[in-house]
Order: sequence, then structure tokens, then C-alpha cells
Amino acid sequence: MPAIAGPSSSPQKHVVGSRLEVTGGLRSAEVNTCRKRKLRSDSAAEVSSSTPVNSISTPMKWKSPRRCAVSIPKTADEEIKEDSNGNLASPVISAVKNLSVCLDVESKWNPRDEEQMKAVKEALHVSKAPSTVVCREDEQRRVSEFVKSCMEQNKAGSLYICGCPGTGKSLSMEKVRQQADDWAKQAGLPCSETVSVNCTSLTKTTDIFSKILGKNESGSKANGSSSPLQQLQSLFSQKQQQSSSKMMLIIADEMDYLITRDRGVLHELFMLTTLPFSRCILIGVANAIDLADRFLPKLKSLNCKPLVVTFRAYSKEQILRILQERLVALPYVAFQSNALEICARKVSAASGDMRKALCVCRSALEILEIEARGSIDQEPQGPVPECQVVKMDHMLAALSKTFKSPVVDTIQSLPQHQQIIVCSAAKAFRGSKKDRTIAELNKLYLEICKSSTITPAGITEFTNMCTVLNDQGILKLSQARDEKLRRVSLRVDEADITFALKEIRFFRNCLL
Amino acid sequence: MGKEIIPAAEKSLNLIRGRLCDPSYVFRPLSASSDSNYSKLKFIVSTSITEGCNNSILLLGPRGSGKAAVLDLVAGDLLEEFPDSVSLIRLNGLLHSDDNCAFKEIARQLCMEHHLLFSKMASLDENSQFIVAMLRECGLAHKTIIFVLDEFDMFAQGKQRLLYSLLDAMQSVTSQAVVIGISSRLDADQLLEKRVRSRFSHRKILFLPPSREEFDGLLEHLLSLPADSSFPNGYVSRFNEKIKNITSDTRFKDILRTLFNANSTVNSLLKFIFRAVSLMNLESGLLSLENFKAALSSMQRQPKLEAVRDCSILELYLLVCMRRLEVKEQSAYNIISVMKEYKTIHDSFQTSDYYAQNVCLRAFEHLRERQVICYTENRGQSQTGEYRPMKLLISASELHQGMRSHACCPAILLKLLDH
Repeated sequence: MPAIAGPSSSPQKHVVGSRLEVTGGLRSAEVNTCRKRKLRSDSAAEVSSSTPVNSISTPMKWKSPRRCAVSIPKTADEEIKEDSNGNLASPVISAVKNLSVCLDVESKWNPRDEEQMKAVKEALHVSKAPSTVVCREDEQRRVSEFVKSCMEQNKAGSLYICGCPGTGKSLSMEKVRQQADDWAKQAGLPCSETVSVNCTSLTKTTDIFSKILGKNESGSKANGSSSPLQQLQSLFSQKQQQSSSKMMLIIADEMDYLITRDRGVLHELFMLTTLPFSRCILIGVANAIDLADRFLPKLKSLNCKPLVVTFRAYSKEQILRILQERLVALPYVAFQSNALEICARKVSAASGDMRKALCVCRSALEILEIEARGSIDQEPQGPVPECQVVKMDHMLAALSKTFKSPVVDTIQSLPQHQQIIVCSAAKAFRGSKKDRTIAELNKLYLEICKSSTITPAGITEFTNMCTVLNDQGILKLSQARDEKLRRVSLRVDEADITFALKEIRFFRNCLL
Repeated sequence: MGKEIIPAAEKSLNLIRGRLCDPSYVFRPLSASSDSNYSKLKFIVSTSITEGCNNSILLLGPRGSGKAAVLDLVAGDLLEEFPDSVSLIRLNGLLHSDDNCAFKEIARQLCMEHHLLFSKMASLDENSQFIVAMLRECGLAHKTIIFVLDEFDMFAQGKQRLLYSLLDAMQSVTSQAVVIGISSRLDADQLLEKRVRSRFSHRKILFLPPSREEFDGLLEHLLSLPADSSFPNGYVSRFNEKIKNITSDTRFKDILRTLFNANSTVNSLLKFIFRAVSLMNLESGLLSLENFKAALSSMQRQPKLEAVRDCSILELYLLVCMRRLEVKEQSAYNIISVMKEYKTIHDSFQTSDYYAQNVCLRAFEHLRERQVICYTENRGQSQTGEYRPMKLLISASELHQGMRSHACCPAILLKLLDH
């Protein structure tokens, strides 16, 4: 496997480069211009086969699609400066405006072009971390100020970060870590060592201490007499020999996995910061807002409660801004603005989870891709139709695919007897009674069958069908010795059942 | 003529039965259209491989609807298309739901794929570090690892550590993996913890039962013989002609409808056809409508009904007496009270079937052995012999139906049962 120098860092560097508008990368500019020439030609069908990027197969040059896609804006900006009078007030926003204006001049968005599609999908992928984290500047600033003050004063401290999943906590922590390193280098302080632990990977909760120790060069690991925790405590209780001691930045992700019944580990971890000669900065990340209050009461008494920074769920404007940031680096407009808006609105109303928003956008892209490919079969050599961007209906289809539960579809496609069983269950559990035996359900089932002159299935078949519905998660069956005494309850909402079966008049009358 | 057909009949029987047992053959026509689940799944996985991005999908549907079969089809196609850039890891929720087991199994399969030595003594930590390192290496080599998690809802029990580690590893740029979960529970993704659910990409492919046209197409695909030289020429055309006649018959459509009203998955259709084909008359070598009718009745058996149908007249009398006692609101009755009722009937209706006590006791034993009646459970009261309370294990309608289809049930019994 060839050694690729820092695959994760190279795309970021190039993005940073374009932000600062450093002109350079002649080689990539050459590739860009010859690509653009080909794209401007009318026969779009040749593009995918003859660009130099595609013919490259070795992994080294595989990275170039990212570089190309990212560094195009440099030449785009140059061209804009040449073409128009170029008042670039703020590079980001005007780039978007000018790009839409120069759509005819610039490379067109062609959904059939695999390269473009790949670039857009990558820009929207969850794993691609953008260089600047937008909409979290406030929180990041607070955290980095805290870290800086600790490092300046050579004091230990603890911080607790909470928020729903998908709100950018781990991402911000990465940025803070880098910033702390950069700042320490600038300020001339010794660089702090960082220990980043994801607590789900620990087999025992006390392993976190050995992980922290493992990074500490001064301690000797092969000390069998005392546990890692005791070693750490002794380390922090004595004055250090070296005058300039390094600070240790500990980032504990998914901290609630450390909670045990006696809350010992969590306490000890935070108490490490209270020891007299402690030099660790502890940042804990979790989902629960009141973790500090609930699980660390002792710290309050010791007056060293951790600082709490809450990462709120994203609002509609924030989601929209983040999506636009990610897409602005590309030279073409793939999404209609109202499509992005409706995605942001729906996701922020549901959970405010950024991952979901990105997922929905990628799903909408795929719908567009399938549509574009479908039209290829009809017209293989025809000219490219007018810009097929992701419109509202693509986004709505993607939203319904993500947010709709499959229950309604499944109930509609169940065989008739199973639908009757579901119907009788809905009727049975309408009142206060929430579970019945199979025999009682069978009675209701027989009533419905009799009222509509359908031959009912026997009790064995009935029990089998109830088991099938249990497997699917529509009913819930308990275990009992006697088959007929097993208790049944409904797992699905009655409203869903009514909605699913409303087309069929027979069930509509039944459920009345 | 007779001797010639028989080997061909057996050969055709074997051919059809072989087809029915091969899931990839069965699911090919269902996967042909571009809108099918096969093409959707293939599109998602192949774009993930070619673009090198991570993805996760759930396949949902009732048991027997072909989820694993379609996945095998897609996996086979992908391994052909991209021979060196795909490796497949399979886990099953019933076997590997424990985190230790799961990590060990993943490590073992990865070692097998890449010809490394696997040590059984490796601990959980070492296994998970190995997996993370392998994911990174495969990501650098642009090789995609496809994780197939069968019985996905079983992995969602407990701390969900395996799911979290897999999905978290996919959040980083360095790994290239696809996680495909197969489950029959529709709310499988609601079972996930919120952290795991946030990392899961919410793509679901629902496996619904095929439509009527698809079923008709499938029937033809499975049952028509190919016109190649291994079969005598006239036989093939006669066979296919007969199949066409049967499938266009309305009675056959009724049979199918009865079958689908109970269970509309592809699996139950395959079982039905298998039974019908196995009943093929080897003399003529052709299928007939009666084969399908017999197959349906063998699939939708009612054991209690058959038990009643096989009872003797005395046993029927005893059952009717018990039913009458139940109707009279006597919830607990024993042999003595049933015998009393029997005597009352005999006295009032002067029936000719009256048997002595010991014969009746043997009849009770027969009924108990066949599980048509049983002793009720009662705690704290130890009564023996004839004083133990009994109850019926069949419902009134089953009794009624059984008696009506009985070969020689006396009419008076039906009358007695009705009021």
C-alpha cells in the first residue's frame, strides 16, 4: 500500500488555502482548465470517459478529485474578476451569487456526470469534516478560552459538554484540540499532550485511568503494586521535578458509559482535577444535560463543579447555513434553495440533528441521479437537458423516505386474515384494557369474520399469524405454557392502523 | 409410451424441485425491474463502493419475503464486478449478539479473508483494535468491507456496543464500509439508542409481498420446462400447455387467493408449489389441478378438526355432553357429571348407543390422548380418578364442523348440539 501522507489532512489544507485565497496549484489549474474545456463542449457524454481524472487508477492520484473540486473556486474567482467588475464583498456569499449568474459560462451541473455527482456527495458526507465549523463559534470560543486560561495559569480544570446527538460536539472538540496546539506553539508554552478516549471502547470503566497513564511518559507502566488510578493520584499529589510541566488535555467522549452503580470512576476522574498538583484539563462529552448535577454532587461541595457548555440542537437557519457552506465550495449549483430550506425546516422541527440533514440531502441527490439515469435510457445521445438540480419534489420524496415509518405500508400489504387480526386488536385495545389473551382476541376475530361471511382460520393458523405479526413488531406476544393463555398487546398506534386501512371500506366500517 | 414418459417425468420433477430450492433462481424475475428492491440495494451498495463513501441500510420485511436471498444475489453480483475491492463479513444476531462473540467473529472472518493468522486467545480490546486498524488499512487500499448483520434487532439489545463501534468507525474519512442490517421487525431502528440512531443513515428498503402480476410471472418462470434436448419434445410442449391451462383456471385463482389470504410471502408460495409438484402423477408426467388442491389442504390443516373427524360415535356423544354442560354454565365438570348427562340424553331420546361405564372410561382416555379434552389444572385439591375436573380443548365451532364432516355422525347429535 503506498504511503499517502496524511489523507485526512490534505483536503483540509486545500480548503483552507482557497478560503485565504492563496493562488497556486498550477498543476491543478491546468487539469481544471482542460476539464472545463471539455465540459463546455456540447457533447456531455464524452466527459465521463475522457477526462484525465477518470483514467487515473493508482491510489496516489485518486486523491486528486478532491483537490480539483476544491481548488476550482480559485480559478472561478479569477475568471469572475476578469469577466465582471468584481466587487467581492465577501468571498463566500458573492461566490454563490456569481456562480448562479455565471452558470452558463462556468461548468454546468450535469447530474449524469459521475465526477460531479461524486464531488457533491462527498461534500455532503457525514465523515467529511469542514475546515471551519460554522454555527458553533460561540461554544467553541468558550471552550478554547477555558483551555487557554488553564494552560496559561498552569491550573487544572474540568469542563462538561452536553447536547443531543448530531450537534457537532465531537467535531468541535477536534477543532479545539488543534487550536490549543497551535496556540500553545504560538505562545511559546510547551505543547500539551492530548488523550482522547471514546468510553465505549473500554471493557472496564477503570481502564480509562490506564489509558491516561499510557500516554504519560514520566510514569513507568510496569508497576504492579498500585493500580493506575493510584499512580495518577500520586503523580498529581507531588510537586513535579521539572519546572515546566506539560498540561494534559483529556477528552472523554460518550462519558455516560463510565457511570457505574457506585459512580466511583466518574467521581475519581473529576476529582483528579482537584488534586493539588494536578495538571490535567478534563473535557467530558455526553448527551445528558444534567449529568454533572446528578452524578457529581461531591464536586459541588468541593466547589469545583465542572463548567457546563450546552450544544443546543440546530435551528432551521443554522442547518441551512451549514448546508450552504458545504456546497459553496463546489463551482456548480446542485440544489435549489427552497429544497435546502424545506430540508432544514423539517429536520430542525424533528430533532435538530445535522447528520440527518446531510443524509436527507444525499438521499435527494440519489433520487435525482436515478431520474437522470432513467432518462439516459430513453435518449442516449441527446443533448443535456436544462439544469436538473435537486428540486422540491426530490427533497420531499427523500424526506418522506427518511421520516416515514414502514408500518403503514406493511399493514396495507398484509394478507387479509392478518389485517382482520390487526383490526380486531385495534378494536380490543381501544378502551383501558391494554392486553388480552389470544383466546379473547380469537373471539373478536371470529365475530368480524362471521359478520362479513369470510371463513375464519382455525386456532392453530390464528396463533401462527399472531406469531408472524409479533415478529414484525405489530403485536406483542408474551410467553405462557398454554398457547391460548398467551397475552397479546398492540405495539402500533391505533391511528396508524386506521390510516392504513381507510381505503378498504370493509375495515373502515369495522373500526367504527 | 408409458415407459418413455416416466424417466422424463422424474427428471422434470427433479428439475422443478431443484429450482424451488434455489433462492437465486427464484428471485431473478422479481429482481428484473429497475424499481425492485434488488436494484435499489445494488445501486446503494455499488455507489458506496465506487465513490468510497460509507453507508448503512436496513432491509425490513416479514420472514420469508426474500431479504437474505436478494442480498445474496447483490453480493454475488458485486463480488463478480469488483473482485478485489469488496470483502464480505457476515454476522447473525442469534449467534453473535454478545459483544465478545461478535468482535471475535469479525476478527476471525477478516483474518480469513486476508490470510492472516487468527488467535483464539485475543481479548476484546485486541480484537476491536485489530478491526479498527483493518478498517483503516482497507480504507487506504480502497477496499470496501460490507458488514451483513442478520437479525439486526438482536444486536440492538443491551449496550449496543458493536453497533456503536461499527457506525462510529464509519463516521471517519479513513474507513470504507457498508453496514447492511436485515430484520423482520419494522421498528428495528426505533430500538437503537439515540447515539447509534443518529449515526445510522436511515435508509430502509421494505420488502413487501409481490403483486398478483409478479406472482403469475413467477409461477410461469418456475413451472415451465425449458425446451432443450434432454427432454422429449412433445412432452415439454404438453407440460407447458397443461400449466397454462391450470393457471388460467378460475378455480386455481381461488386456491391462490385462499393461500394468500393467510400468508402472502414468497416463501409460502414456494412451499405450496413444492408440495403440489411432489404430488405429480408420474404415470402421465403432467401436473393437474387436484395436485394444487391437495397441496393447499395439506398446508392449511386443522389438527383438532381431524381429531374430531376420527372419533368414534361414543366419543362424539361424550363430547356433545361436555359441550351441553358448558352451555348450561357448569364450568367445572368431571366424568361423573358427563356420565349423568349422557344418561339423561339416553333416557329422553331413547338412543340406541348406550354403553357401560368402563367402555366410556376408555373412550375418555382416548379423547385425552388425542388432546381433545384434558384435565384442568387445579392447585391444592388432589382429586383422583373420576372426580377430577375436565375441560374441552376444542371450540364449539370446531366441534360442530368436525361432526358435520364426520363420516357417520348420527343426526340426533347435531340436534343436541344446537340447542
